Amino acid sequence: MARGMIRKTFLTPLGKENPVFIQVLGICSTLAVTNKLENTVVMTLGVMFTTALSSFVISLIRKLIPPRIRMMVETLIIATFVIIVDIVLKAFLPDIWKQLGPYVGLIITNCIIMGRAEAFALNNKPGLSLIDGLSSGLGYAYVLLIIAFFRELLGTGSLWGVRILGSWWTNWSVMIMPPGAFFMLAIFIWVVKEAFIKKEESK
Amino acid sequence: MKKESFFFKRVYPLLFMLIITALCISITAGLYLSTQERVSANESLFLRKTILEAAGVEYPDDFIKISELYESSVRESDGIYYVTDSNGDLVYVLPFSGPGLWGTINLMIGYNSRLDALTGIGIVSQNETPGLGARIEESWFKQQFAGKWGPFTLVEEGTADQPDEIDGITGATRTSRSIQLILNKAVAEGPAIVKGE
Repeated sequence: MARGMIRKTFLTPLGKENPVFIQVLGICSTLAVTNKLENTVVMTLGVMFTTALSSFVISLIRKLIPPRIRMMVETLIIATFVIIVDIVLKAFLPDIWKQLGPYVGLIITNCIIMGRAEAFALNNKPGLSLIDGLSSGLGYAYVLLIIAFFRELLGTGSLWGVRILGSWWTNWSVMIMPPGAFFMLAIFIWVVKEAFIKKEESK
Repeated sequence: MKKESFFFKRVYPLLFMLIITALCISITAGLYLSTQERVSANESLFLRKTILEAAGVEYPDDFIKISELYESSVRESDGIYYVTDSNGDLVYVLPFSGPGLWGTINLMIGYNSRLDALTGIGIVSQNETPGLGARIEESWFKQQFAGKWGPFTLVEEGTADQPDEIDGITGATRTSRSIQLILNKAVAEGPAIVKGE
């Protein structure tokens, strides 16, 4: 029973209830930081860290939080973890911190984190909330990585800053620009829904 | 339904918020203070690298060696950096800035001792589009300015072969133009600043 519960908690955000392509949350950062794989990896690690730990802490003190002010408390806890990410990046990875610019701070406004806190952490035990937060972060991460993979490859002919495609390749500048993110996300959602979701619905 | 007592309705939420705010602030403030030294060291290292790069001085990729090199070859007064390069020649490095596509671009620009050619540029900060305008950070772009002198004209990426031509970046015309404008300003005003006029 307990194991089945853990399994379900872990797998749901990866597929059926994916925060990006099913719930369509956290789109701001999906569009903003996916034009270079390297930035995307750091950003998604930051989001995973924040969702997992903020869900855990909120769940730990869920019985103490006065319902009336619960959102203030959630925001405060989430903000604390985001600031931790920001300071650690600034101190230890200054180059990446410079490139990500304001987006690290904007993890606070990522709806996935607040959504998981409200929908899950407030009603579940800390261990389970940690898993839920982590896998929500993972569900977000892999979608972003796939989008970033195609955007960087098509837009610059490189991956992780290393040239992959030869000089015959003409860069699709639009992929690097914000509209490229809209195209890629839409194509991604379309492919996933066409390939996986429809089958399940027609069963 | 049980009526909530005054304590649980009014006092408890306030107390809870105060305590949790104090906790969160202590954690972040503690972390901030404990990394402050490292952060400011990072920043000054970055500025030093940028100045050496603008002067066309090669530097090792090592924190202590860069600091030693900088201490021994750079001296600053009135916002002008006087750099002695590896041949013993004096190079002047000045900060210049101008509007980019999204935000201000801050550059360090190096002049040779006769003030008739650039030695290079270093980028202090920029906010251009990653993958397009932000390619001004790539070394081929920054290194193309050594030995050139303006006023500059912008040509297509990879075709500059005259001392007053600079390679633009395909797909980032606005950013390339911003760099061109900053450099033209630097060429026009730099020598006078160095001579103290």
